[in-house]
Amino acid sequence: MKIRLGFIIGCAILNVCWSGACARQEMNLTDHPKGLDVAAEKQESPLLYPFKFYGDYISSVDGDRCSMYPTCSQYCMEAIQKQGPLTGWIMCSDRMMRCGRDETKLSAPVWINGEKRNYDPVSNNDFWRQ
Amino acid sequence: MRIRHICSGSRFIALVALFFLFIPFSKSFAGTKTPSDQNPSVIITPDKQFNYAENLFSHHDYLTAIMEYKRFIHFFPEDKRVERAMYQTGMSYYLGGDFNRAVDSFQKLIDEYVDTDDAIQSYFKISDAYMKLNAFDPAIINLNNLILVAHDGHVRDEAYYRLGWIYLETASWEEGRQYFSKISVKNKDKYRLETLSAELEKEKLIPKKNPKLAGFLSVIPGAGYLYCERYQDALIAFLINGALIYAAYESFDGGNPALGGLLTFVEVGFYAGNIYGAVTSAHKYNRKKTGLFLERLKDNVKINLSADVKNQGVCLSFKLGF
Repeated sequence: MKIRLGFIIGCAILNVCWSGACARQEMNLTDHPKGLDVAAEKQESPLLYPFKFYGDYISSVDGDRCSMYPTCSQYCMEAIQKQGPLTGWIMCSDRMMRCGRDETKLSAPVWINGEKRNYDPVSNNDFWRQ
Repeated sequence: MRIRHICSGSRFIALVALFFLFIPFSKSFAGTKTPSDQNPSVIITPDKQFNYAENLFSHHDYLTAIMEYKRFIHFFPEDKRVERAMYQTGMSYYLGGDFNRAVDSFQKLIDEYVDTDDAIQSYFKISDAYMKLNAFDPAIINLNNLILVAHDGHVRDEAYYRLGWIYLETASWEEGRQYFSKISVKNKDKYRLETLSAELEKEKLIPKKNPKLAGFLSVIPGAGYLYCERYQDALIAFLINGALIYAAYESFDGGNPALGGLLTFVEVGFYAGNIYGAVTSAHKYNRKKTGLFLERLKDNVKINLSADVKNQGVCLSFKLGF
């Protein structure tokens, strides 16, 4: 039992350390002089690949069903790009729990391609940290 | 011989006269019109130019109005309406939604005309433009600068009133009260300060959620959302976290540490997300309630100010509070 508990805690610590390292790496990318910003932007974090894969190959077949705007996958990518992998991943998990429930009554409605969505951008969820 | 000489002389004069007579027609018949004949020149007077710009402005064609006001300033720099044209240029930018250029334009006017009516209104509009850009600090600095240079007590009072409202916008109630209290006694009625301070007292009654408490309660997944009155989110957070924790435990228990590790990896994100979401929800709740309070306060107490666009004209209004 102790070994299992230790393994769980170990996994969690490793996870946090890995995310922290990725965050530092991403920060270094944005520290470049202005001229190199374009190159840095093009060099996407590998953490975004699953979301891109989901958007390109799963969501396009499965259908656009997210009731929020931006959609959860787009939100996750923006959160990771803006806040780094650790906080971005936490914000992403939070969004997936909130998607389509109480937020639909609280956020402002927007119409995207004739469909009603609820506007919940990253800035609406990290304003208190700035 | 002599008679023939006279006749030929008179014939010569007649020919010369005819020649000069037809000169004006010859140009038009020859089809050699000058540009000035084709386009009759229009002389633009300062009045015409300024009125044209004003006409465009009144028809909300702000982009063209800016061009015409600038043309007026360029061609008639000595005209007494140059200052007004500069102010209207700033207003055109402001009403057209280009707040950064509006600030530059009003600032240019202030630099040239220090203590005129339009310069003072420009100070107010700069602060309005900064507010539109959500830049509260420059708006405050600008109004404080006006208070330093203004000689008129009414202008200083208006600046204090505006500063008070800027602080209220950021939910800094005490700073807001301090600026309202600086308004001179003679203008207290004008700005309805008695009603305002009475309404401001209700600020303490704004329902609020403590973000730290929301985060602490989230130790039990979903409890933080529950505290923030998000009942569906609370249920989902509890079920997802509970299911993932149980699945991770069962995986380890069933001798599948790889799956258990993966589930733990995912669960840590959802657990942290549940805490983060609860804290954010508390902040959102407070922001919403404060926003509603401010909206009601503005509707009930805030007066139209001198530089407001709506304030151009005479109207009679009646409001019944209930």
